[in-house]
Order: sequence, then structure tokens, then C-alpha cells
Amino acid sequence: MQGFRAALTNEIEKMYKKSKMTVILIISVAVIAIGKFASMGMSSFGVGVFNKSTAFPMSVLLVLANTLLPLFTALIATDLFSGEFSHNTMKISMTRPISRFKLFSAKMGAITFFAFANLMSVMLLSIIVGLICNFSSITFTGIIRIVVSYLVTLIPIMVIALVVVFLSNIIKSSTAVFFLSVMLYIISYFMGTFFSQYSSIFITSMLGWHTHWIANEILFAKIIREFLIMLGYGIIFFTAGYYFFDKRDL
Amino acid sequence: MEKVIEIIELNKTYKNGRGVKDLDLEIYKGDVFGFLGPNGSGKTTAMKIMTGLMKADSGEVKLFGHSIASEYEKAMQRVGCIIETAESYPYLTAYENLKLFSRYYKNIDDSRINEVLELTGIIKFKNEKAKNFSLGMKQRLGISAAILSKPDLIILDEPLNGLDVEGMIEIRKLIKKLAETEQTTFFISSHLIHDVELTCNRIGIIYEGRLLNVDYIQNIQANYASLENYFISEVDKNARL
Repeated sequence: MQGFRAALTNEIEKMYKKSKMTVILIISVAVIAIGKFASMGMSSFGVGVFNKSTAFPMSVLLVLANTLLPLFTALIATDLFSGEFSHNTMKISMTRPISRFKLFSAKMGAITFFAFANLMSVMLLSIIVGLICNFSSITFTGIIRIVVSYLVTLIPIMVIALVVVFLSNIIKSSTAVFFLSVMLYIISYFMGTFFSQYSSIFITSMLGWHTHWIANEILFAKIIREFLIMLGYGIIFFTAGYYFFDKRDL
Repeated sequence: MEKVIEIIELNKTYKNGRGVKDLDLEIYKGDVFGFLGPNGSGKTTAMKIMTGLMKADSGEVKLFGHSIASEYEKAMQRVGCIIETAESYPYLTAYENLKLFSRYYKNIDDSRINEVLELTGIIKFKNEKAKNFSLGMKQRLGISAAILSKPDLIILDEPLNGLDVEGMIEIRKLIKKLAETEQTTFFISSHLIHDVELTCNRIGIIYEGRLLNVDYIQNIQANYASLENYFISEVDKNARL
């Protein structure tokens, strides 16, 4: 466990020390500010966009989960794998007393930490902004719904991260991995939209699964089905990603 | 004597035909072993397999009795190494780099980090980012990382690369000191005959992937006058066979 803990701490510290993570968090937070100003502009024309304090955080999540969060997570995932292979710094960790499995898991743990931190910081800021603009409409149930929505969004994001990690371990160039990931995401998104009868096999269509959790009538069967599909994808891409990571000669 | 490294019938062949062929080698505690061979002879390949960076086609490597393939963590616990190039994270300072590495081992505190930076002569650059280091400074940082955990085995691939004359002398002295006082075993590869002759007590000649011979430096100097003569003799003998 010491090796895994050491690797996880190191990966998180490396992410923090690189300016990328800070820039990403700033951009995520800036999106909230832009969104809020846009909604204030619209409301000055009589369009009541966010009448409830809980509506703004949910709208932010909808935008973030489908655009910036997968993009940023892919960037970090590419950096931690392909980036380190191409800069030859992967061998620094690989020549320490830690198995490749623990190292791989620690890197995935760091990506999870990043995605979680991103979600939580956006959630907190959007709640605060929502409360400032409309404090009277706050309810305890509303806050719980927001927290649950943000938390469960972590799962499809991590599945997307696992796909990117898999690609990072089979393609040498980090630029190629990033662009391929973006392309696959866009294709999957449009396929899920235009072939809605098959949407359940596209992971991108599950980025909005938080709506099932906060619906007036919670459809447990649907939630379980989507969870199992994501779990299946997660297991497949984790195993495949680790297989190629372990096989790779430096 | 404790067997520190056991290499048993190691084979690894690249697509271009180069690599390592039927390598059998045993290194004992306290050896300062010089792995001498020209460019492309298989030195780095052997070292990469020894440290788990590469998988062999066949054969086995054991460090302190633990197989690299099946007991990697135990095998590498008492090992420090520089393989091919001394790498560090460019966006971290020298101190931060060593701090990161220290987490994998027990009982390494700030005083030990400062001590190794002092030993390798880069203490005054400890708060500078590694991206601003010259090649020699990066090499010294790599050596600091290799000796940080006070390992019982240090594997160094061309450790004097990029160092100035003063640096080479300092590192050679450091190797001798650690070998004498701490009984640290060294496995050093180089294509520079003179450096190997000055530093090592046991020499192995590798040529075109095959280990030609292993002998102690005293015997080599007694029978051949110099390591260079020994190397030429071994290579010629092999060519004739």
C-alpha cells in the first residue's frame, strides 16, 4: 500500500505543480461567471432563465458534463500517460519499487481526483452564485439534488477517461491521442443523438444520467441498467489499458 | 558471498537483430562490476530488463533472490538506478524531484535529500527547476536520485556522461567510497575503457549481445597490462570463433 499511496500522492502533486491543472480549474470557474452574466443579460430582456437558485448549478452541470469536463479530463489523462512516455519521464516511476498495476491504478486515481475536484469546485461556486442571485428559493432537497447530480456525473466522466487512457497506451503520440479522443467523443455524441434507439451503447449519452437520479419519479431499473453498462465499459477499458501499459517496453 | 544479481540465459532480440543473447551473469555483494562494450552491444538492453523497463524474450533476472518478473517490488526495494539517461521532472526543482522519489522508500527525510545533493555537488541548485539544468547537472541529479534510498545495489548506465572532469573524479570517488564503506554493489555500464578501469574491480565484456568474458581487474592488468588490451583480445578471440 505504501507504494500505491506514494505514487498517488506524487501524481497529484505533479498535476498540481504543472500549471495545466490550475488553468483548467480557472477556466471551469470562468465558465460559471460567463454563464451567470449571460443569464443576467437575458433576464434584463425579460427572459427568466434561473428563477430558482438550484436551476443555475444544474444548467452549469449540463454544459460542463457534455463539453469542458470530458475535454479537460482527456487532457489530463493524455498528459499522465502519453505525455510521460513521450517525455521519457515514465521510467522515473517505473524504476521505483512499485508494480505497474499499482502505478497504473495510482494514475487513474489521480485522474479521478482531478475530475472530482473539478466537479466539486464548479458545484460549490455555482451554488454560491445561485444563492446570491436568488436566496429565497433555496431548499434542502434542492441542495441534495445538486450534490447527487454532480457526484454521479463522475462515473461517466471516468469511463471516458479510461477510454482515453486505453488510447494513450496504444498510440505513441500524445497529440494523436488527444485529437482521436475528441473525434471519437464527437462521433459518439452525434451517433447517440441521431440513433437514439441505440443511444444506450454510447457512453456520451450517459453524461446526462444525473437527471434520472433527481427526477420526480426515480426509475431505478434505468439507473441500474446504465450503471451496469458504464461498469462494463469501465472494466473493459481498465483491463485493456492496463494490459498495454504492462506490456509496454521503454 | 551474497548473490545480488543473477542473470540466467537472458535473451532479447529486436527487429533489427540486435539485443542480448544467452546472457548468464552473477554479481556478488560488494562488486563494482563494469559492463564494458561498444555502442549497440546490448548493455542498456540488459540493464532495462534488469530494472523491469523491458521484458525479456526468455530467461530470468533475480535481484537479491527476487525475480524481476514476478516479485518486482521486492526486487527493486534495495535498488537505485540510472538507465540510459538521467531523467527528472523538468517543472520541479531538484529538491522537489528527490522529495517525490523519497516517498517510495521508508525513512528518507529532508536531511538525507540535502545530504545526497551535497554529495553530488548540486546543493546550491536545490531550489532551481530541473528544466534549467545543464546535462551534467541533470546527471548529478540522477545520481542523487539513485543513491537517495541508500540502496544495496546501484545500477548505472553510462553514469559519467555529460560530466566535466571534476564531476567524473567526484563521482568515481563517491562510487569507491560507497563500495568500501557501505558495501554497496555497483553495476556500471560504459563504453569508456579508461573510466571502467579506474572505477571497477570486476569487468564483463559484452559484444554483439554476447557476454565474452568476466574477470577481476587485477587479473586483467596482470595478464594484459591494460583493460584495452584485454578488450581487444576478447573481441578478436570471439571474431575468430
